[in-house]
Amino acid sequence: MSNLAVLPIIIPLLSGIIVAFFAKNVKVSRVLAALFTIINALVAVYLTSVVFTDGTVILETGDWVAPFGIVLVADPLAAVLVMTTNIIALASVFYAPFALTVKKEQHYFYAFYFFLISGVSGAFLTGDLFNLFVFFEVLLMASYALIVLGGEKVQLRESIKYVLINLFSSILFVTAIAFLYGVVGTVNMAQIAERVQEVEQTGILTTIGILLFFVFATKAALFPLFYWLPKSYIVPNPVVSALFGALLTKVGIYSILRVFSLIFVYKISLTHEIFIWIAALSMIFGVIGALSTNNVKLIIAYNIIPAIGFIMMGIGMFNEPALSGSIYYLIHDMLIKTALFFIVGAIVYVAGTSDLKKMGGLIHHYPVLGWLLFVSAFVLAGIPPFSGFIGKLLLLEGALENDKIIIVIIALLTSLLILYSIIKIFVNGFWGEQRHIEPTEKKPLAGFLVPVAFLLSFSILLGVGAEYIYPSIESISTYLLNPELYIDSVLKE
Amino acid sequence: MIIAILAPLLVACFIPLLSKIKHRVHTGFFVLLVPLSIFTYFVTFVGRDFSTQLQVTKWIPSLDINFSLYLDGLSLLFVLLITGIGSLVVLYSIYYLDRSERLDQFYVYLLMFMTAMLGVVLSDNIFVLYTFWELTSISSFLLIGYWHYKERSRYGALKSMLITVFGGLSMFGGFVLLYVVTGTTSIQDMIAHPEIVWNSAYLPLILAFILLGAFTKSAQFPFHIWLPDAMEAPTPVSAYLHSATMVKAGLFLIARFSPLLSASEWFYIVVTSVGVITLCWGSYMAVRQTDLKAILAFSTISQLGMIMAMFGFGTKIAIFAAVFHILNHATFKGSLFMIAGIIDHETGTRDIRKLGGLATIMPIAATLTVLGTFSMAGIPLPFLNGFYSKELFIDSALHLEGGMSTIASMLTAAIPYLVVFGSIFTFVYSMYFLFGIFTGKHKADQLPKPAHEAPFGMLLPPIILITGVVVIGLFPNLVNGTLLNHAQSAVGNTLYDVEKIKFWHGWDAPAFQVTLLIISVGIALYLTRKKWQHIYNALPGSFSFNRVYDALIKQLDRTSEKITNAYMTGSLRLYMTIIIAAIIVVTTTVMMVTDGFVVKFDNLADVSVLELVVAGVMVVAAVWTIFTNHKLAAILITGVVGYGVAILFILYRAPDLALTQLVIETVSVALFLLAFYHLPQLQKRDDSTGSKIVNATISIGFGALVAMIGIAAHSSSGFAPISDYFIKTSHTLGGGDNIVNVILVDMRGLDTLFEITVLGIAALAIYSLIKLRNDKEAE
Repeated sequence: MSNLAVLPIIIPLLSGIIVAFFAKNVKVSRVLAALFTIINALVAVYLTSVVFTDGTVILETGDWVAPFGIVLVADPLAAVLVMTTNIIALASVFYAPFALTVKKEQHYFYAFYFFLISGVSGAFLTGDLFNLFVFFEVLLMASYALIVLGGEKVQLRESIKYVLINLFSSILFVTAIAFLYGVVGTVNMAQIAERVQEVEQTGILTTIGILLFFVFATKAALFPLFYWLPKSYIVPNPVVSALFGALLTKVGIYSILRVFSLIFVYKISLTHEIFIWIAALSMIFGVIGALSTNNVKLIIAYNIIPAIGFIMMGIGMFNEPALSGSIYYLIHDMLIKTALFFIVGAIVYVAGTSDLKKMGGLIHHYPVLGWLLFVSAFVLAGIPPFSGFIGKLLLLEGALENDKIIIVIIALLTSLLILYSIIKIFVNGFWGEQRHIEPTEKKPLAGFLVPVAFLLSFSILLGVGAEYIYPSIESISTYLLNPELYIDSVLKE
Repeated sequence: MIIAILAPLLVACFIPLLSKIKHRVHTGFFVLLVPLSIFTYFVTFVGRDFSTQLQVTKWIPSLDINFSLYLDGLSLLFVLLITGIGSLVVLYSIYYLDRSERLDQFYVYLLMFMTAMLGVVLSDNIFVLYTFWELTSISSFLLIGYWHYKERSRYGALKSMLITVFGGLSMFGGFVLLYVVTGTTSIQDMIAHPEIVWNSAYLPLILAFILLGAFTKSAQFPFHIWLPDAMEAPTPVSAYLHSATMVKAGLFLIARFSPLLSASEWFYIVVTSVGVITLCWGSYMAVRQTDLKAILAFSTISQLGMIMAMFGFGTKIAIFAAVFHILNHATFKGSLFMIAGIIDHETGTRDIRKLGGLATIMPIAATLTVLGTFSMAGIPLPFLNGFYSKELFIDSALHLEGGMSTIASMLTAAIPYLVVFGSIFTFVYSMYFLFGIFTGKHKADQLPKPAHEAPFGMLLPPIILITGVVVIGLFPNLVNGTLLNHAQSAVGNTLYDVEKIKFWHGWDAPAFQVTLLIISVGIALYLTRKKWQHIYNALPGSFSFNRVYDALIKQLDRTSEKITNAYMTGSLRLYMTIIIAAIIVVTTTVMMVTDGFVVKFDNLADVSVLELVVAGVMVVAAVWTIFTNHKLAAILITGVVGYGVAILFILYRAPDLALTQLVIETVSVALFLLAFYHLPQLQKRDDSTGSKIVNATISIGFGALVAMIGIAAHSSSGFAPISDYFIKTSHTLGGGDNIVNVILVDMRGLDTLFEITVLGIAALAIYSLIKLRNDKEAE
């Protein structure tokens, strides 16, 4: 028992409330937001180090013992993801003042931002299925607020679809939880896992499991449930798109990973086989989407989908290397997607358009931005020695151990097309003659670029310095393959 | 060795500093030191008593990814080529590139490439090899796109990148497969126990994956199309990457893995036939070109095909000839590229139709070209290295030990004819290149610049290379015993007796007779080339693999747009239809497969009449909402369903819930009515019957599915629910008798806290939305 587990949730919640009171004074709210984010990040680092040295940190909230009260479970997986979330938050809070108008900052951007972080961390940390639903609501509500921030017509039009589809999946979520409670009589995830194992995951449990999968798949934007994503992710400000791209879909895929490594693991030949196919289709349709457009923001938004496909593929394979690959890829993708949304935000800012056909020769004025994009393209495509490579290597290894050749080929082709979709921006936007709409003097970009460089340094560290990180990820994956470890840490203290 | 590999990359970091003083000292002079010193270091290894070296530096040991650098004869040959030709190319570039160019970028890319290429040939670890392999593609991309203001440069850069990275990824797939099969990442470990791979069912797949990597990199038919477009790069780059080194990485890969892969008969069939076809197609197409660098590009393609074919043959003599020709080709082709650059530099054009009669104006260049092209054509003169390897090639083609199957034996029978065909055209394009530039009439009026001999610094590198051609030609055993012997033994286990290499084998040597045949037919074809030129209109005519590539890229963009636009219509109805349909199909299937549907009647309560009535009203109201066209009616009827739920709560003795439900319903109906004025009129939808049926099926199906799961879930409950604990401890631990209240504020207080937060966020969001819009309108 330690209150440490609740801090990454409660600090942003309180921060959000505090900054809301200072919203009108932009300078103060910027300083406060940065300060609180740094504090929260330090706490997250500390939590992670505690988890990796002393093991899972549990908090039974209100002292109601598990499985009756709500437990927060900071296990290695949750801790690592909370830490990554905070890295992204840190980059975002420093990027925001440059990307946002003062008006938007004054209209509670920082408050919503903290509520979003709170919801995301809560989703990672909770050990209770209904509480997971609650945290989903928190992060969704914050995201609704962020997506309409600014109140442009196009934002309202796209956000209505976003809200409705997510509302539908929320309803389905509660329904599925109710059904599951009807069968196993509990909402504590450890106890659900224990009871599902006891009855060897009867048919109805598998069915409910699949229903839950669809709930999470909608949030994760897997095929064929991703329609809400691309267009709604490009209407808000780039910093919001970055937060969404990095965090929201990842909470969905995390939930799938959690539920289908802890609870529903006794009919793998059926459930996880379905996952592999969905993963393959997500890769294909996602990357096709990325190739279908000349809107640079949309290219990045579509690229979220194949990445989720890669992570899903590892979950489907469900062996040690593949799960390590999924986790590695998950962390990698959170970082690089944020970086890419930031980069594209800067591109649109300097070029005055998001249409690739109207850009050209940006490298003359903005070489650093160009090279950051160039490196990011290879990071994203999983070219060594960057972070994506390690994840992909493990994923392919896991897939081949299961003799799944076809998805390996699809994954490789997808990587090529991902690279093509991004390098197109570099070749057409940065190379060539200058011809962007506003050819006036150079705009200062340092404020945009520092957060990008900060994130990319992690991507490089995860690749080049994999030796320092991979063993921890491998231990998470072995841990996930033994659900008893989780169950015991929650139920048999 | 690791320092030698990384040195260029480290130096590259300081290039931007050095380029600050480029107007005093050309940056190239600093760069030159790098390959030169690495070359000097490695040249000390050359000798008859060379033995292989292995150095390991840990990188990611937990994933078996380490810098294990393995230096054997094959990698030594390549290292010397990379650094040797690299030095000459840098020297050449000092005179070729003006100081006003972006020298810093050029040399950074070039040094990056050097590191990458050294890494490829020295890595024993497959994944490190792959890392460097992709780095060569990336640096090649940047170098081709060096003059990126030109549209052709951008096109060429992207094309080469797509094709080589495609191959690289395929090779990566093969490597992962090899790793999974063998459990090791070391190539030498795999070769030490080749039977593991031979016995694996994956052998054909591994072969296909790795061959694709090699073929794309080495510009083999039909992936050769990127190489001519890569000629947009500055000429030093073409000489270096796209002739002497990078394009040979594919050959290196084949050579490196042939002990492992040649066990499959498909290795012989595929490698040989692709190589021979490339040889023929490349040499045939070279004669058609008018740009000097394009002729050389196709010539390179053809020569790469020839070496590829020799690795495919796999006989002792063929392997020896292959490594020999790798060296020879680098010498004569490197110098010819440099001469093409000189001609371009000094006359302002590379169009062979505008050139001619330069022999008297540029005598040194002309002499060098004579030696280079004659060596390339394989003309039997005792001081040309090209002749030796060419004759060995023909010899090996005449003595094939091909496989047993029908395809293999058919191939074995056809090869000599194809080889002769390819060699004839090789002869023709060599002569075409030589005589087209230097003989005939000098067309001074067509040249953008008055022609003159190049500065000495520019001529020096090709002179050194042509000296290499002559020296190796005169004393082949200078390199045979010391270098090539070790290289061939690294590829094949047996050794070809290098003492057999000599110029004269007698008139009756079959290879010599074939050479004479090639030369005589070649001369005839060259002299009559105007008469048969029109054959190119028939073959390939307007067809080219470039068009296939262009169409593919265009289709990729277009088809993806079509597919995406087909379902991303922006219509929420369509999205929901697909989403729900997917859920129905998959979930129902899972339910049926797992026998998930169970019904039990033994745990049901009695149903009262009142309950039935309420339920009935709700059902009617729910159905009614679909059919009504009046919005006021729709709002009220929806309210009926909600109030029905509230009544059910009352019947089940849950007053708190009933109250909550009543409040919610009242508030939502009130809100609807408040916004009534702004709601759109409901119109009678005129959907087609088809879409009505689809919608009805999906709605009913989804309802049925949820109901079935609900029934099955209730019928499967067997565990004690945790709610019993709440009932027991509500008073004792929670201090309250209203269990719902205790649950909300204490037992699950965290949920409540955050549900309140949700409401708070919503309120703040709406406030901000309205406020921001109002502010905007006010402005």
